[in-house]
Amino acid sequence: MATGNVVVYEPDRAIKIGFLAQWQEMVVELVKSRELIWRLFLRDLQAKYKQSLLGVAWAIINPLVTIGVFVYLNSAGVLRIGSTGVPYVVFAIVGLTIWNLFATGISAATNSIVGAGPLVTKINFPKVSLVFSSIGQSLVEFGIRLILTAIILFIYKVMPAWSVIFLPLSILPILFLTIGLGFILSLLAGVFRDVVNAISLITTFLMFLTPILYPSPKSGVAAKLLVWNPIAQLVVGPRDLVIFGKLSNPLGFLWSALFALIVFFVFWRLFYLAETKIAERI
Amino acid sequence: MSSDTVVSVENVSKKFSRTLRHVMMYGAADIARNMLGLSSRPQVLRNGEFWAVDDVSFELGKGETLGLIGPNGSGKSTLLKMLNGIYMPDRGRIRVKGRVGALIEVGAGFHPMLTGRENVYINGAILGMSKAEIDKKFDSIVEFADVGEFINAPVKHYSSGMFVRLGFAVAIHSEPDLLLVDEVLAVGDANFQKKCFDRILDIKKSGASIIFVSHSVSAVERLCNRTVLVKNGKMIFHGSTREAIQKYFHESSQNNLDKVQSQTFGTGEVIFSDIFAYQDGGNKHNANIEFGQDIIIEFNYRFLKKRNQNNQIRLGIRTFDGRDVQKIFFHEGSFPDGLVYPNEKIVSLGDQGTCRIKILNPRLFPQTYILDIAIAPLDMDVHLGGISNAKAFNIVCLNDERRYFEYGNATVTDFDFDVEVFKRLQSTPTTGEPSRGLS
Repeated sequence: MATGNVVVYEPDRAIKIGFLAQWQEMVVELVKSRELIWRLFLRDLQAKYKQSLLGVAWAIINPLVTIGVFVYLNSAGVLRIGSTGVPYVVFAIVGLTIWNLFATGISAATNSIVGAGPLVTKINFPKVSLVFSSIGQSLVEFGIRLILTAIILFIYKVMPAWSVIFLPLSILPILFLTIGLGFILSLLAGVFRDVVNAISLITTFLMFLTPILYPSPKSGVAAKLLVWNPIAQLVVGPRDLVIFGKLSNPLGFLWSALFALIVFFVFWRLFYLAETKIAERI
Repeated sequence: MSSDTVVSVENVSKKFSRTLRHVMMYGAADIARNMLGLSSRPQVLRNGEFWAVDDVSFELGKGETLGLIGPNGSGKSTLLKMLNGIYMPDRGRIRVKGRVGALIEVGAGFHPMLTGRENVYINGAILGMSKAEIDKKFDSIVEFADVGEFINAPVKHYSSGMFVRLGFAVAIHSEPDLLLVDEVLAVGDANFQKKCFDRILDIKKSGASIIFVSHSVSAVERLCNRTVLVKNGKMIFHGSTREAIQKYFHESSQNNLDKVQSQTFGTGEVIFSDIFAYQDGGNKHNANIEFGQDIIIEFNYRFLKKRNQNNQIRLGIRTFDGRDVQKIFFHEGSFPDGLVYPNEKIVSLGDQGTCRIKILNPRLFPQTYILDIAIAPLDMDVHLGGISNAKAFNIVCLNDERRYFEYGNATVTDFDFDVEVFKRLQSTPTTGEPSRGLS
C-alpha cells in the first residue's frame, strides 16, 4: 500500500477521522460528483418529458389552476384576500413560482433515494448526487414558471422593480433549505415509506400557512404564527424584490436565511454519516 | 500491508437485524448517536441481530484472483458489498487500493425510457467514469454488448439478455484495479457467458486483482488462484482453490444427506432394510463416494407373503433436486418378448435375501443423489413394497487429480452394472448361494 489512494472501511470511521476531516471529505465528495449530478439530472429530465404528453406544460398548468381557484373564490366573495398592492394574479404567480421551487424540490428530494432502488443497494457511488440532481428538476420548472410569470406581468402591464436582478441571489436561502430538508427527508423515506405520503400533505398544508396566495397578515393568530414560519420570509423576501423593490422585513429574511444555512449544513453532515447505513436499511 | 497488496480484510464482521422493526429502530438510534459524535457501538450484538459475516480476514495482492464460495446465505454477497463500500463493516477493517469495479448487479440504474446510448453515459458516470472516458470507450462498449442499432432504442424494448449485456459491457470497461464479480456470469446465453469470462480473464492478464463469487465451481477453478470458503458468515477455509472446492462439496453434500427423509409405499408385502450406498471396497457406512469409483448399492428384502409370480426389483437414481438419472431393473425371468435391455438383468430372488448392485464406472457429476427402491410383479403395475428417498449418497471429488469438470456439467447416465443376489434362509440371514446376474 505504498502508492495509490487507499480507501479504508471500518466501523465509526467518520468519528475516528475527526470533525474537520469529515467536512473535507464531504466537500471533496460533492465536487467529485459534479458530473454524476449532471448526468442524473439529465436522465430524470429526459425521462420525465419523454413519458409525458403535455411535457413542460405541466409546470405551467399547475400554478395556473391554483391561482384560478383563488381568483374565483376571491371574486365570488368566499374569501376576502386583502389588498396586495398589485393585481392579485401578478402577486400570486410570483409567490407561487418561488414557493413551488421549495415544494417540488422537497418532494423530488424525498423520493430521490427510495426512487433510485437497486442503485443504492448494489452500487457504491456518492448518494448526495441523488439529492442534488433531484433538486435540478424543480430548478427547471422554476425557470419555466419564470417565463409564465414574465408573460403575466406583461399582460397586466406591471413593471418588475429594479431589484429583480437580485432574484437569483435571494432564492439561494430557500434552495439551501430545500436541499437541507431533502437530505433528512430522503433518508427518512428510505427507512419509513410513510414520509413520501406525508410530505405532499405537509407541503400543501404549509402553503396555506404561508402568505403566498394572500398578503402577510398584520395582526391575529396568523401574524403570530408567521414569525415562526422560516419559509414565509424566504418566499416573501424574493417576491418583495420582484414586485416592490424593497424587503418588507429585512431582518426576518436574514434570520430565515441563516436558519436555512444551518439546516443545510447540519443535515448534510447527517446525510454523510448515515448514507452507508441507508444501503442496509432501504 | 505490503506494497503490492490491493485488498486487506482484517477480522471483518457485519451484523444484520432479523426483523424490519429492529432494522428501523436500530437504524434511527445508530444515526442519532453518530450525529452526536458518539460511536454506535457496532461491535455489540443487540436483541434480534446476528452476524451475517463473522471475523473474516484475507489479503489479496496485485494480479491475484480470489474465489469466494459457500452455500446460499453464507455471507458472500455481504462481504463483497463491504469490499465495495456499499456496507460498512461493524468490526474489523477493510483497506482497498485503487479503483474498484463491481459486477454486482449490472444494469442497475438503467432508466427504461432512455436509449441504450443515454444509459451508457449515465451508468458510466455512476460507476465513476468521466464523459471523456466513456466517449473514448463507447464504440467498444457497444460492440461488446452486441446490441447493434438497438443502442438508440429505449432499453425497455431490450430483451433481458441485451439489457444485461449492455450493463455488463459498461461495467467491464471501467478499467478497475480490483474487480468484484458476483454471480453475474449466470445470466445471458452460453455465448455471452463465454465472452464475459474471456473478458474477465483479459482483465486478470492486464494485472488487475479479482474477487470472484460464484456457484459455478468450474469457473472458480479456472479463474482463481486461491479460494475462501464461507459458511454461516464464517470463513471455514482459505487456501488452494481445489481444496476449497472439495471442502465445499463435502460440506454441502453432508448437509444434503442429513435432509433426506424416506417414505414407504406399495401394498406392504415386501419390506426392505439395511440399505447402503458406498464406494466399492470402502466402508459400508460412508455414503461419500469418490468421483469415478464404482458404487455399491446394497439392501435386504423380505417377502412377508408367499411369492407366487416372477418379480422385479426397480432401482431409481435421482439427483438431489429431483432429476432422474437412471433406472435399474433386475427380475426373475425375462419379459414375454424375451429381450433384455442394457439397464436390466435377470436374477433369481428368494423369499428374502440381500441384493448387492455394483455400478461400474459411473461418471456421475459430484453432487448428492437419491435412491428409490421398489419391488413389483414382473407383469403387473402394482408395487409390493417400496421406499422413496431410501438412501442418499454423494459423489465427491476428494484428492482427485482428474478434473471432473472436463466432463462438463452433464451427468453420464449410461453406466453398466452388475448385480448379486444372496438368498437366505429364515434362520441364517447372511449365508446363501449368490446368484450372479447375467450380463
